Amino acid sequence: MATVTFSDTTRFYAGVDRPAVDGLDLEVADGEFLVLVGPSGCGKSTTLRMLAGLEGVDDGSIHIGDRDVTELPPKDRDTAMVFQNYALYPHMTVGENIGFHLKLAKMPKAERERKVAEAAAVLDLTEYLDRKPAKLSGGQRQRVAMGRAIVREPSVFLMDEPLSNLDAKLRVQTRTQIASLQRRLGITTLYVTHDQVEAMTMGDRVAVLKDGILQQCDTPVGLFAKPVNVFVAGFIGSPAMNLLETTVDSDGAVAGGTRLPLTPAQRSALTGPGIVVGVRPEGWTIGDGGFEAIVEVVEELGSDQYLYCRDGDRVLTVRTPGMAPWQRGEPISLTPQPGAVHLFDAATGDRLPDA
Amino acid sequence: MSVTDVEAPPRPSPKPVRKPPRKPRPAPGSKRFSPLRVLGSTIVWLFTAGNILVLYWLLTASFKTPVEIFTKPFDLPYQWFKVGKPFRNFIYAWNNAGFGEAVLTTVVLVGLATVVTVAVSAPCAYALTRLGVRGSGPMTNVVAIGMGVPFQTVIIPLFVVLSKVHLDNEYGLFVLYVALSIPFTVFLMTGFFRSLPDELEEAAALDGASPMRTFFSVMLPLTRGGMITALTLNAIGLWNETLLAIVFLKDQAHFTLSRALFTFYGAASYQSEYGGLIAGVAIVVLPMLVLYLVLARRIITGLTLGAGK
Repeated sequence: MATVTFSDTTRFYAGVDRPAVDGLDLEVADGEFLVLVGPSGCGKSTTLRMLAGLEGVDDGSIHIGDRDVTELPPKDRDTAMVFQNYALYPHMTVGENIGFHLKLAKMPKAERERKVAEAAAVLDLTEYLDRKPAKLSGGQRQRVAMGRAIVREPSVFLMDEPLSNLDAKLRVQTRTQIASLQRRLGITTLYVTHDQVEAMTMGDRVAVLKDGILQQCDTPVGLFAKPVNVFVAGFIGSPAMNLLETTVDSDGAVAGGTRLPLTPAQRSALTGPGIVVGVRPEGWTIGDGGFEAIVEVVEELGSDQYLYCRDGDRVLTVRTPGMAPWQRGEPISLTPQPGAVHLFDAATGDRLPDA
Repeated sequence: MSVTDVEAPPRPSPKPVRKPPRKPRPAPGSKRFSPLRVLGSTIVWLFTAGNILVLYWLLTASFKTPVEIFTKPFDLPYQWFKVGKPFRNFIYAWNNAGFGEAVLTTVVLVGLATVVTVAVSAPCAYALTRLGVRGSGPMTNVVAIGMGVPFQTVIIPLFVVLSKVHLDNEYGLFVLYVALSIPFTVFLMTGFFRSLPDELEEAAALDGASPMRTFFSVMLPLTRGGMITALTLNAIGLWNETLLAIVFLKDQAHFTLSRALFTFYGAASYQSEYGGLIAGVAIVVLPMLVLYLVLARRIITGLTLGAGK
């Protein structure tokens, strides 16, 4: 068990001028479940692979506990990884796959078999121990990959989109299983995903990356309630937050028919006249003046309903209770609820101080 | 419903048994019969028939007397069966061509040469494809170029060099066989190693396997198909190799099968022992034919791996 510390860690790829990971400073507490999330190419997998020792570090350092592992080969880092496509050894049985590390570590056979059996029992794989991976379903293969990681009792778990090859239903099931297993084992875990629902539901904290730069690292609630910039605001939450660009005058910002007053602190933090007003789909009051829009698309989910409303050339997303009687083409007026408004500087994208 | 409609509603007829078509309909636009296709399949079938005919002739002739071979080339053998000595030709060939020693020499030579070839080529192919060695691309090409050099063109220099170091014998032949088989084998194996996912190596590295261990415990077992293909194709090629054997082997006691057959050809045709001669050919050809038939599927998937997908 150990903490993980990235200090100014930078990684370049050959032939690309922009670093894949740029000056990453991140501290993961002992036993924490940290999710790295971001769009494709944001550097989240590279971060994980640097920690595993599969990628070199061009600048900065990585520590696991007190050990500087920056230059250590993968086998000396005491990390276990679950790969996106599992990377099970096809010619070995499930038991051999799980026990391969222990075998290489020259653990006596009896003890090794006991450990493998324990891990298999935890993951419900006991009856498959003698099968080859080709004879397993996707979910079972995923569990074998997990088994290969947990049997080692490593100081850090690394998981690189381990659920992306599962079907939707199994993914939701496995999500909770992995999260509860991690809490039970109490092993520090870094988990990479591009799915923000996975990030929000599984992580103790979530680190959002974009273009190799860490945007924000906070608890799921913190990310959702106080996104530090426009990117995080738009990335976290589904459907995405409505981001309305407008300008500031002497009285405050005007969005739709609504005037939003600014505090002196907010006003002094602004670098220009432009401001972005963020309202989550559930942050609207319907039918009170404000934005006058036309309902364009109705998405009925049963429990919720999402309305996509056109106002000029922008589309506003609104969440209403399920089975509401909204129809396409109906006019709708929307006002942001007080307290549900996020304000960002349009030029820098940064969040303005809260009122 | 109209008033005139007085007919009773039709009784539900028993459900008809659904019969799937014998051959599902092809996608629209793909013609089943086109002149080109008919021509193509005719040629293929003629070619196949020709080959089967040759095989049939070889098999039957090896049981016939010379008179039968020339008068009734496509009949079933008769004479030797009538006198109760059906395998007379094979016995004659075996005893007169020195096949007994030749089989031993060939099996040992070909077996060792193929095994050594693969044992050298597999690590070589692995290093060229997976270790990210600088210049591995051009190096792979150099090896591949080796496939394109016809060994017949270098046979005299080879003989001169090898006889200077007293390797103009079966040991020299072994060295040559291995050397000449390596380019193709490396080329074949690189295809196999390239098709393996990177994650396997990474997983092995995280599991604590050294590069050597990764190669032997993880990567090599996964190229078993490729190794079997390489072993078989090399074995077939070397088993039938005659030219180098003629040039390098002088001592009759160490002749390979094909070399022994070559000598036997002279002797048997001089004595008009055509039945025995053909039986000798059959003895040389059939083992490899059987080997190929048994492993054909493996070999074909091995050769085409990486071509599709």
